[in-house]
Amino acid sequence: MALANRDTQTERQNSTIGTPGQNTRPPIASLALLTLTFIGMMTSIFMIFLYVPTDAIEGIPQRIFYFHVPIAWIGMLAFGVLAVASIGYLWKKDERWDWLARASAEVGTIFITLALITGSIWGRTTWGTWWTWDARLTTTLILWFIYIGYMMLRSYMGRTPASARSGAVLAIIGVIDIPIIYESVNWWRTLHPQAEVGTPGALPPEVVLTLMISLVTFTLLYSFLMLQIYQLQKMQALAQQLHANIE
Amino acid sequence: MQGFIYLVSAYAIVWVGLFAYLAVIMMRIRGVRTELAAVQELVREQQEKPTTS
Amino acid sequence: MIFLEQVITILWKDVRYELRSKQMWTGMGLFALLVLVIFNFTFDLRVDNAAAIAPGALWVAFVFASLLGLGRTIAAEREIGSMDRLLLCPVDRKAIYLAKLLGNMLFIGVVEIVALPIFAALFNVPLFVGALLPIVLLSTLGIAAVGTLFSAMAAATRARELLLPILVFPLIVPIVIGAVRATGTLLAPAVNEPPWLGLIAAFDVIFLTVSMLTFEYVVEE
Repeated sequence: MALANRDTQTERQNSTIGTPGQNTRPPIASLALLTLTFIGMMTSIFMIFLYVPTDAIEGIPQRIFYFHVPIAWIGMLAFGVLAVASIGYLWKKDERWDWLARASAEVGTIFITLALITGSIWGRTTWGTWWTWDARLTTTLILWFIYIGYMMLRSYMGRTPASARSGAVLAIIGVIDIPIIYESVNWWRTLHPQAEVGTPGALPPEVVLTLMISLVTFTLLYSFLMLQIYQLQKMQALAQQLHANIE
Repeated sequence: MQGFIYLVSAYAIVWVGLFAYLAVIMMRIRGVRTELAAVQELVREQQEKPTTS
Repeated sequence: MIFLEQVITILWKDVRYELRSKQMWTGMGLFALLVLVIFNFTFDLRVDNAAAIAPGALWVAFVFASLLGLGRTIAAEREIGSMDRLLLCPVDRKAIYLAKLLGNMLFIGVVEIVALPIFAALFNVPLFVGALLPIVLLSTLGIAAVGTLFSAMAAATRARELLLPILVFPLIVPIVIGAVRATGTLLAPAVNEPPWLGLIAAFDVIFLTVSMLTFEYVVEE
């Protein structure tokens, strides 16, 4: 199984007499995160399906909530990480910030996509409609578009410093804009109040506990995926650099 | 019953999605490793040849 | 004052260049009109409906025409290589940005001035109310502020015409909402309307500043 480990054969690069071999160091960090994620996921599944009581109002489908909410939160966290990494890159000009940014953008896109899908299904069961233009859903959709725009921009501009800079600027503009978008949609919606997607009122302790466990699990998953993509970016950068050195 | 179907499909989509993504990541890592090995071969070959400029 | 001189010089150069080729103005103008006409077919515009649909139609036309104009200016720059030569000069990047921004606003503004009376006629709405000017001005400023920055970004790619709208549309959502609602309130005054013009103005200040500061990173070679 191809997991990312720290050894990208940079040492071999310097030695002229080296036996080309596969990676020697076991991927400790990756395996650890993967194991923890697995344990967390098992625990979460148990709690979601066997521990938490069925919601009185919404019934069985309400359990989607325990996956949907953490996934959505992590999707937004990923955007925050993307923004911080972007600022870091523009400030320090260190490539590694860019690897972090690209990793978070990729993982974030996946998470927001899943959040939109699960949210839509949950909305269908609760409110009878696949979509509603309330502030939260609309902003999440816009966020999805910004993520996609980022991925497209980076893809079209390739693996260059110019690409990294442009991506960073996009991320910074995006993160400043998101709260403004949310507020403006809020103002717009107050004119036509409609079904709000969300759970009203205080939540019983079992619900909170399950939600927290699920959140921890998905944070671990996010960290695991980030590590993989970060190493992937690192290796791709290295390969590109070596190609350039040869020519 | 219908609610149950929605629940299952939501979880199924998440699982399938995450696993598919994980599989894609693994493939990409393997691909880069192969590419890196190949490039490193080329680098060594170039180093072993007497330098001509 | 050197900064201002730089801005005006670059702006004047762009305006003269664009005056020579009338391509863009006519293209954008016709495009805006076409959108307005198509709206007539897509929505049922009886008299009572017009006030509800008209602001939306107007701003869809303006936004699309703006994007068209934004894409064209930077593409033209890249073709003749003037941007590269400009970057070689020790001119403040913020000045370049401002000049491009003002140039874009000028072009879009001309199209808007032409489209507005025709819009008023087509939709049969009373248009020359005083408060319309600040709405159009500030909204155009916001769209152009973001658009100028991203057109510089997208210009470096092959799929620039495709990429520019994808990048810009999500980001200008507050302006679009604000502009449409503000124009709507003009035509059909409502109570308890949020301060849309204030929102647009705040957006402008924030994104003008951020764009001006980050522009140099985008055009850096």
